[in-house]
Amino acid sequence: MDAIYLDNAATTPIDPRVVEDMLACMAPDADFANASSVSHEPGRRARARIENARFDVATLVGATPEQVVWTSGATEANNLAIFGAARFHRPKGAHVVTSRTEHPSVLDPCRRLEREGFEVSYLRPGPDGIVEPAQVEAALRGDTILVSLMHVNNETGVVQDVGEVGRICRSRGVLLHVDAAQGAGKLPLDVARDRIDLLAFTAHKMNGPKGMGALCVRREPRLGLVPLIYGGGQERGLRSGTLPTHQIAGFGTACRIAAAEMTEEGARITRLRERLWSELKTLPGIWLNGSEHRRAPGILNVSIEGVEGESLLLALSDLAVSSGSACATLRGEPSYVLRALGRSEQLAQGSLRISLGRFTTAADVERTGERIRTEVDRLRAIAPSHAAATG
Amino acid sequence: MPADPRYGAEVLRRFRELPGAGDLAPDASSAVVQGHADAADHGARVLLSLRVRRGVVTEARFRAYGCPFFIAAASWLTERLTGVSRDQVAEWDWREAADALEIPPSRFGRLITLQDAVRAAAAAWRG
Repeated sequence: MDAIYLDNAATTPIDPRVVEDMLACMAPDADFANASSVSHEPGRRARARIENARFDVATLVGATPEQVVWTSGATEANNLAIFGAARFHRPKGAHVVTSRTEHPSVLDPCRRLEREGFEVSYLRPGPDGIVEPAQVEAALRGDTILVSLMHVNNETGVVQDVGEVGRICRSRGVLLHVDAAQGAGKLPLDVARDRIDLLAFTAHKMNGPKGMGALCVRREPRLGLVPLIYGGGQERGLRSGTLPTHQIAGFGTACRIAAAEMTEEGARITRLRERLWSELKTLPGIWLNGSEHRRAPGILNVSIEGVEGESLLLALSDLAVSSGSACATLRGEPSYVLRALGRSEQLAQGSLRISLGRFTTAADVERTGERIRTEVDRLRAIAPSHAAATG
Repeated sequence: MPADPRYGAEVLRRFRELPGAGDLAPDASSAVVQGHADAADHGARVLLSLRVRRGVVTEARFRAYGCPFFIAAASWLTERLTGVSRDQVAEWDWREAADALEIPPSRFGRLITLQDAVRAAAAAWRG
């Protein structure tokens, strides 16, 4: 029996409607040509595919098509935003503000900037995972050039108030970069309304293809960036390289579907997540990680006392879920996100991220609740109590 | 439980079936000694119970909190220690479990926690 897939925060299956549009850009009789080769009809057809997708991607997040820069994913988009903005605006200052619970594709560039002489302030969220806008405001200085804050946390699903942070940043003349890899296509986003200068997101978290992302860059007034990749001058010189027509077409379709179905799908997935949590929270010693109310529809993250995360994951091999377990990460450390929320090492080790998506069913959720309860009971039954172990 | 290439077959079998899990109670003809070790912040906690009769271990049980390798090693240990003397218990070395179960070096620290529990049981036996 195939595992029940509940790791949609890691990646999602491609929607068959997206596959169909991608295939229309791949075969010899399809729109496969180089979109820069506009001197011939196949090239112009590919270019049209790309510009249609650019419109759909921009529309999803309240941007104009001219704002969209194609990238290979959210990691590259985050790198381009952070390095590009920091290096371009260095004459104005060398201070960057971010949070301790950002994705590594934000934290690692920030650490790299520190080696280049920038100073980075890492804000600590509250126990609910929320970085208060007032914290951001208090961290701003005269030499702050950039704030980087994620929309939805990839581990906990906690949603940050990027709109209020955008208002603060704009009033202080500081750029705001938002990593929206987990939020775009799941929750409404509007770069104009929320005053977001740089918005990074990716196709594969919204039932689109892997290897495709975008950075929306503010155009009015124009925001300067130093590119990371040089070459053919594509994407207005910000990201050189031949455009992958099929990937971009798939991204566009994924965004169009998300825009049309977000409200209904979000409500359905939220109901499933709440049903699962209702089932699980009757287990003794289970903790919800992150705010109960400020969270994206599909992500549930729990810590379970008396159960080690890797063992729970192995016991739940029929469920495709993930853990912040020490053993499950290459770094060999418990989740830094949960530790930043104040969870003990042990609770961080015993965490489980269950992320629901478009193709998750009520039967999947029911089965998941049963299986987790069964395996938690089995592993707890063999665990020594603290009292026994300490004599 | 489907196969997982990160774990050997014996680790998976022991994790699935948990042979040797549980507790022991003393009876009229034997004593039970226990050894515990707690490194829970590093993901390992274990309680070993050894039934001792006429100078040898006749039965062993474990309770464990930890990764699958650690649980499998604790299970394996209950069989390894059965039939051995107090001195042999005291001399047991964690590397034996690492070799027997092909445990990767990244988990060796947890096996040392298991060895701590064995030494504690040997000390309790002396007491």
